[in-house]
Amino acid sequence: MSSVPRWLRRSRPVFTLYMPTVPFVLFALFPLYFMFVTSFKTNAELYDVSSVPFWIGRGVTFGHYELLSKETFFWSWFVNSLMVSVAASAISVVLGVLAAYPLARLKFPGAESFGVAIFITYLVPPSLLFLPLSTVVNRLGLSDSLWALVVTYPTFLVPFCTWLLMGYFRTVPKEIEECAMLDGCNRLQTLIRILLPVAVPGVICAALFAFTLSWNEFLYALVFVSPAELKTLTVGVFSELIRGDIYYWGGLMAGACIGSFPIVIAYVFFLDYYVSGLTAGAVK
Amino acid sequence: MARPSAASTPDSGRVSRRQFLGAAAGGAAGLGGILAAGRAPAVAQTKELTFLTIASFVPDTDKELKRQLDEWGAKNKVKVRLDIIAHLQLVTKKAAEVQARSGHDLTALGAGLGDADLYFDHLVDLNDVAADVAPKNGGWLNENDYLIRGKWKLLPWWMPPFPMAVRTDLLEQIGEKNPDTWEDWLRIGKKGKAIGHPLGIAIGQTGDANTTLLSILWSYGGSYVGKDGTTITINSKQTRQALDFVKRLYTEAMDPEVVAWDDASNNRCLNAGKCIAIHNPISAYESAKKDKITIPGKTREIAEVIDHVNTPKGPVDRRTTTGYWCVGIWNFSKNVELAKDFLRYHFQPENQAKWVEAGHGFNLPFLANLTKHPVYKSDKQYRFIPEVAKVTVPPSWPGPTTAASQQVLDLYIIPNMFAQHATGKMTADQAVAWAEKEMQEIYAGRRRKT
Repeated sequence: MSSVPRWLRRSRPVFTLYMPTVPFVLFALFPLYFMFVTSFKTNAELYDVSSVPFWIGRGVTFGHYELLSKETFFWSWFVNSLMVSVAASAISVVLGVLAAYPLARLKFPGAESFGVAIFITYLVPPSLLFLPLSTVVNRLGLSDSLWALVVTYPTFLVPFCTWLLMGYFRTVPKEIEECAMLDGCNRLQTLIRILLPVAVPGVICAALFAFTLSWNEFLYALVFVSPAELKTLTVGVFSELIRGDIYYWGGLMAGACIGSFPIVIAYVFFLDYYVSGLTAGAVK
Repeated sequence: MARPSAASTPDSGRVSRRQFLGAAAGGAAGLGGILAAGRAPAVAQTKELTFLTIASFVPDTDKELKRQLDEWGAKNKVKVRLDIIAHLQLVTKKAAEVQARSGHDLTALGAGLGDADLYFDHLVDLNDVAADVAPKNGGWLNENDYLIRGKWKLLPWWMPPFPMAVRTDLLEQIGEKNPDTWEDWLRIGKKGKAIGHPLGIAIGQTGDANTTLLSILWSYGGSYVGKDGTTITINSKQTRQALDFVKRLYTEAMDPEVVAWDDASNNRCLNAGKCIAIHNPISAYESAKKDKITIPGKTREIAEVIDHVNTPKGPVDRRTTTGYWCVGIWNFSKNVELAKDFLRYHFQPENQAKWVEAGHGFNLPFLANLTKHPVYKSDKQYRFIPEVAKVTVPPSWPGPTTAASQQVLDLYIIPNMFAQHATGKMTADQAVAWAEKEMQEIYAGRRRKT
C-alpha cells in the first residue's frame, strides 16, 4: 500500500498537470485578452503611454463597437465571411473525400505521384496564384461577387482536405470495407455507409481546418471582391479602419474580437473530434 | 423479356455512372465555353461606372467624393459605385485588375507618379481631360512633372503636404522658437530628448522615411538621379553631408526605435505626448482633435499645443516631396468616356473646393487656384500648407518620374542607405556605394525591359 497521503495523491494533478499547463494557456490566451481589453478602452487611453496596457484604467467605452456597427458594414462582412467559409468548406470537404478515398484505397498507375502532386499544389502560395486566378474569376463572370471566393477558396482547401483525409482513411481497416463489398455494396456505398461514419473525426477535423483557413483568408477576398457591402470580415475591417497613417486600434481590436468568436465556438464544440482527427494518422 | 427502362425501375431517382459522366462533361464544356469566350454569360446590361480609391486619411473626403459621384450618376442616369480600400492594398488590387484586364473604370494610382510609367500600356490618355481641367482651376502647379513620356497617362489628384508638426508647449519649455532649418530641428531634438521628448522621424522602410530623408538629401544639395533620368547622382559630397547629418539626428535627437517605424508610428509618438516634433501631414493633428486626446497627466487636449510650420530648409535648399496620389482610367474599361466625364465633373472648381473643404485641407490638389482655398486660412494650423506645396517636388527630382525611380522608392533604397550609416553598420562611403549599386541595377534592369 502506498505511503503517500491521500490529499497529496489527490492534489498531484495540480502540480503535474495544471500548473505546468498554466504558462501555455496564458501564452495562448493573452492575444485574445489583449484584444478584448483594448476594444473597450477610450482612444485617449490608447494613446497614453503612461497608462498600463493590460487593463482598463480610464473607464470602459463601447464606442469602438458602435463605430463598427453604425459606421461600417461590419455585420454584412461577418455574414459574408460566414457564408463563404461554410460553402467553401462544405465543397472542399466533399471534393476532398472523393479525392482522398481513391488515393488512399485504390491502386492505379500514378496514384502515389498524384497524391504528391496534390500536396505540392497546396504548397503554391496564394500570393503567386492570385494573378492567374483573377483572370479565371473574371472570365467566369464572378468578379465582385461572393461566388468568386466560393470558387477560389477550394483551390487551396481541396488539396489540404485531401491530404489530411488520405492519412485518416488509411487508418481505417480495409477489412470492414471488404466485408461490406462481400455483402453487395459498391465502392460509393462502401464509402458513404461504411468508411465515412468511421471517419467522422477526420472529416470534422478537415472541415474545421477548411473553415478556419477560409475565415482568415485575406488576399483573394481583397482582390476578387470590391463592393464595400460584399467584403469579408478580414478585408472590411482592414479597409475601413486603417486610414493611411491613422489606425483605429479600438475598432480593429473590436472587429478582431467578434471575428474570433465563430472559430472559438467551432473549436469548443468539436475539440474532441479535432484532436482525434489530427492524431489518428500519426499512430497507424 | 424487355429490359426495364430506367424510369420504371425503383431506383429511377439514382444517377447512373453514364448519366453522371455526361452531366459532368456537359458542365465542364459549359465552363470551358465561358473561359474560352473570355466573357461572362449575358446578364442585364446596365451602364455602371466604378471607381476604386483609397481610404482617405480624413474620412469626410471619401463622403464628399461619394456625394459627387452619386450626384453625377443621378444627372447622367448612370449607376455608380465607389469602392474604398486601404492604401497599402492598392498595389495588389492594381496588379490583379491589369492581369485580368477587368475591374474598375477609374482607379486611384500611386503613391507616386510612377504608376503612369509602370502601367503606361494599360492607361487611357487623358490629354483632353487635363487640358479641360487646367484653365478652370488656374492651371496645374508643375505641369511638366506630371507628363510621363510626354503624355497625360494620369491626372495628379491630391497630395498631403509635409510640414513639421511641433508641440508648442515643449518648445517653450526648452526655450526655442521659430525653428526653420534642419540644424534648428537637430538642436531642438537634442534638447527635447534630454527631457524625454525626442524628435520623431522614421528611418525605416516606410513612405514617411522616403519623404523626409529625400527632403534632407535635397536640402544638402544632393539627389539620386540626374535630369536626364538615367545618370545616378547619389555618389556625391552632398549625399555624404546629408548622411552625417541624419546620423547626428538619429544618435543625438531621436530614439533608436525610429528605424522600425511605419507610417503610423510618428503620428502615435506625437499624439501620445512623447515626441516634440514630427515631419508629417496634418493627419496626426486631425486625429488628436477628433479623439480629444489629452497631454499625458494633464486635462488639456494635445491638439491645442500642436502647431505646424514650414518644411525645414537645409544649407542649400528647402525642398520636400510627398505621396503624389493620382487618378487614371484603365484602357480595358468599357466606360472610358463616362469616366472622363466624371473626372471633368469632379475637377470643376466648385467640386474641388468642396472636396478640399471636406478634407480640411489635407488633400491639396495639384491645381494653382486650390492652394488659395479659404480652408488654409480657416485654422492657423493649415497656414503653411500652401507654402509647403510650393517646394514639393516628385521624389525623383530633378530627374523625371519613371518606373525605375518608382522602384527606388518602393524598395526603400534611400531610407536603407541612411539607416545603414546612422546605425553604424556602414561608413558614409560604404552606404553611398551600396545605394549607388542598387540604383544602377534598377535603372539598368528597367532599360533592358524597355
